[in-house]
Amino acid sequence: MLSSKELSFRDPGLMPIWNKVRNGIRLSKEDGLVLYSTHDLIGLGRMANEVSRAKSGDTVYFVLNQKFEPTNICVLSCKFCDFAVKKGSPEAYEQSIEEMLDILNPDIREVHITMGLHPDWEWQHYVDMVRRIKEAYPLIDVKAFTAVEIVFFAKKFKKTHEEVLSELKAVGLRTMPGGGAEVFSERVRKLIFNQKIGAKTWFEVHRKAHKLGIQSNVTMLYGHVETFEERIEHMIKLREVQDETGGFMTFIPLAFQPGDTGIKTKNNFTSAIDDLKTIAISRLMLDNIAHIKAYWVMLTAEVAAVALNFGADDMDGIVGHERIAHDAGATSPMQLAKEKIISIIHEAGKVPIERDVWYNPLHIYPAEGTSIVSKMPYLNSVPFYSNFEPELAEIKLSPLVPRVFGQFAKEGKVDAGPMSLMDYVASQDEFEMLDYGVAVSGKAYSVLLYSHHDWKHLSGKTIGLTAESSTSVELLRVLLEKKYGVTGVTFERLHLTSGQNDYTKFDAVLLIGDEALRRWKVGLASFLNVYDLAEEWYEWKKMPFVFAVWAVRNSIPAAHKEAIRNALEGSITRSKGHYDELGREHAKRLGLTREDLAMYLNAFTYRLGEQERSAMEEFLKEQAVLA
Amino acid sequence: MQIKQIKEKVFSNQRLNREEGLWLLQNGSLLDLAEMAEHRRYFHNLAPKVTFVIDSNPNYTNICNIDCIFCAFYRHEGDADAYTYTVDEMIERFKKAEARGVRTVLLQGGVNPALPLEYYTEMIRRTRAEVPKIHPHFFSTSEIIGMANVSGLSVPAVLEKLKEAGLNSIPGGGAEVLSDKVKKKISSKKGTSEDWLSVMREAHKLGYKTTSTMMYGHLESDEDIVEHLDITRALQDEYHGFTAFIPWSFKPGNTPLEKIIHTYASSTRYLQMIAFARIYLDNFPHIQASWFSEGKKTGQMALHFGADDFGGTLEEENVHASANFVHTTTIKEMVDLIRDAGFTPVERDTLYHTYGEFAEGEYPASILNSERLHQSVDASIIMPTIPLVALGNG
Ligand code: SF4
Ligand code: SF4
Repeated sequence: MLSSKELSFRDPGLMPIWNKVRNGIRLSKEDGLVLYSTHDLIGLGRMANEVSRAKSGDTVYFVLNQKFEPTNICVLSCKFCDFAVKKGSPEAYEQSIEEMLDILNPDIREVHITMGLHPDWEWQHYVDMVRRIKEAYPLIDVKAFTAVEIVFFAKKFKKTHEEVLSELKAVGLRTMPGGGAEVFSERVRKLIFNQKIGAKTWFEVHRKAHKLGIQSNVTMLYGHVETFEERIEHMIKLREVQDETGGFMTFIPLAFQPGDTGIKTKNNFTSAIDDLKTIAISRLMLDNIAHIKAYWVMLTAEVAAVALNFGADDMDGIVGHERIAHDAGATSPMQLAKEKIISIIHEAGKVPIERDVWYNPLHIYPAEGTSIVSKMPYLNSVPFYSNFEPELAEIKLSPLVPRVFGQFAKEGKVDAGPMSLMDYVASQDEFEMLDYGVAVSGKAYSVLLYSHHDWKHLSGKTIGLTAESSTSVELLRVLLEKKYGVTGVTFERLHLTSGQNDYTKFDAVLLIGDEALRRWKVGLASFLNVYDLAEEWYEWKKMPFVFAVWAVRNSIPAAHKEAIRNALEGSITRSKGHYDELGREHAKRLGLTREDLAMYLNAFTYRLGEQERSAMEEFLKEQAVLA
Repeated sequence: MQIKQIKEKVFSNQRLNREEGLWLLQNGSLLDLAEMAEHRRYFHNLAPKVTFVIDSNPNYTNICNIDCIFCAFYRHEGDADAYTYTVDEMIERFKKAEARGVRTVLLQGGVNPALPLEYYTEMIRRTRAEVPKIHPHFFSTSEIIGMANVSGLSVPAVLEKLKEAGLNSIPGGGAEVLSDKVKKKISSKKGTSEDWLSVMREAHKLGYKTTSTMMYGHLESDEDIVEHLDITRALQDEYHGFTAFIPWSFKPGNTPLEKIIHTYASSTRYLQMIAFARIYLDNFPHIQASWFSEGKKTGQMALHFGADDFGGTLEEENVHASANFVHTTTIKEMVDLIRDAGFTPVERDTLYHTYGEFAEGEYPASILNSERLHQSVDASIIMPTIPLVALGNG
């Protein structure tokens, strides 16, 4: 079950849809059309907000990004585009790579490049664009080139789509923007986008990109000549491809601005109600896409702010050059200052997190007076959160992997959550322990060492370590040295985003959480040995292993502590006995059956007792000797 | 306290007390507020209809001796751009407005001690006589207190004189936040909350209809907002003289307060205010969304957060314009905005008498009959468009 919330609606027609949504049942095209026709905007928003909360907690992401459109010279002249001009036109411009580099600064984390299809530029120029940005700013991730551009490159430079993509990947292309999708409808394409690639080609390119480990976004341009039905079909097509590849990160509805395009719409902008509905409906239809973006440049800041309560969990960011939208008359300022974005997110009652291109959190900016609870994004933590309903609005949830939680806790920014045991030990002075945690006696299925060698032969070898937690890493060291007497092992941290890792270069790899579970049945590359660290510990000590303990910052108000404890107790109590339903959606993503799920969750102990406490002590004793 | 208890009270049409109000304002999520606000909205006004008024909002003087630090509009006597129009000049403008289909003139100005009471009564009398199609919605409480000071009469006596001259409704501006703590900081010379309230009370006693406003987003706290609404609600219980409540956010541009408050509150906060006001002010028939002060799209959204009125077309407006905050619309666009938000547009007058609904593709006849609009229905009948200053300005 996705949500235990009982909602009521002014439009009773929404009730059957909510029952589907909360039970994790996919919405049909008919459902989507009911949602577009409802007058109950608030009811629709409440559903979408619940779904967004289940996925992202109260978090809204933003990124410091720089947009480039290095040229407006384009060989095509799409009807709806008032950005492109022909070579020789007085408005034509070309930006050199040097000029692009000049604009960048080290605070920027994402560069977004799209442009006109230039008749003369060489292939090398595009490759250099990506390469030189990566060389000058290794921390900046490059999100570049829509499918339309990829197809153009392939044709012009006589390469396959794969060749274009892998050559770009080799120099540092990490993700692709979602533009050029417009509306996946042949009828609409013939009417106004007839020069552009169709849905089939668009998906082909993205499929290939996903296969190569390049993730991407996907847009939908609405508010011109398309019907509601075509919008829903757009979402459904997308959902199907996502089932196959899992490579789409974010869905971005773009409100059409007629500007000088000559395309007639009633007013010069979409209605705010249509904007909010489209955000909410996409959140409800696209059950397999992680994020929905309220792109304020196209949506206006006023609607984007409200969209954060209608299912959107991403605000895009601080944008530099935004010519495509602004030439068509968007009224948003060119640069919403970071402070403004943060305050908009705060006023929406949400928690701003500055992210990188893959949504890994870099900084968190809690509003004054709020207490942030870390939402462990792992399947084994579902019982903590599936019914977590604090009575106070000041308690906010943010999904953070253990190590990031530990880091933000140390910075004083996050105040409670299931803390990795090692992080708790390091911050005991500032945190008090609650009687909850994650412990297991025997197999944990989700803390696994994949190895080419057995334990005894790991000496002198290199092990790749999960970047997500420190406790499992310490457990591995204890097992190696104390249980098996193996020393001289070299450890190397993996990238937080799994798709970015090359496991083949290691002798063994330690994975935890969902990343480990995903490999439970399929294994990892050519690693023959799989060791369950919790089981190893149990067989050795005949004791449970405690991975995490719930901890609460001493200094937060007593009322907050009380509210957190009550919400947690409530969630654990109400979740008991419903494990197979609770994690259903989550388990599906990991390829697990209902039985797997129940077995997996039943293995854990969520309330810590005497036994668990002494097991913790035992482990810390062993670990202390190592250091 | 819990959201459940509060919802139960609202859904069974009970009144919230101050404590519950404050808790809800601080802990209710935006959509919880919206859900309750919609319940109250459809309780007062069952049909999915939204009213609007074709009005103009000119000013007769910008000379003012009150010096509110949130105000970008006022000037002092002798300033190069200070102005005071004669009654003749104003009547001329009203006539032009009437010809363009304007139904109501919301007239306000600075508190200018050089103007005698007769200036105001003459303005009303001549409007009634010479521009009969226009409803005068004249003079805020500060100006009325100013008239009392200048004439030596009491406020009730001034109100009697204005009534005799033909006035029967007054605008609710000047309330800002009805908390003396806040007033002392932002408008120390404007008098106390009780001054505003007592003018309103006396006016209601005499049968005037008025609106009630609130300007938030400066130095007030949530407690002040609840206090404001609580006082307003109590007064409404006495005479039921308020037609509508109209909140708007403080726009810092060009005001002395800009140094402390750099930017205005987000649309989320506005919708929260609209919804909260609808829930708390259970005895107010209407809550007005102001597309003008918050943006057209925010205005549309507000209609789903408890508002049932879209305000005026504001053929002329100078106060927000002085703060570099300008939105313009046409009557046609306004009707479309309401309809695209999912409601039937209905034209009304100041006292909320309605003139007629507009079906898809229909617009008020008055604009179609006017000469200017014969050329093009799309043409703006608003004052010359000032380039739109970026949102987030300041
Ligand atoms: S939309 Fe893209 S491809 Fe089409 S004309 Fe504009 S820049 Fe060129
Ligand atoms: S708000 Fe009114 S009373 Fe205050 S300074 Fe401005 S014009 Fe004068």
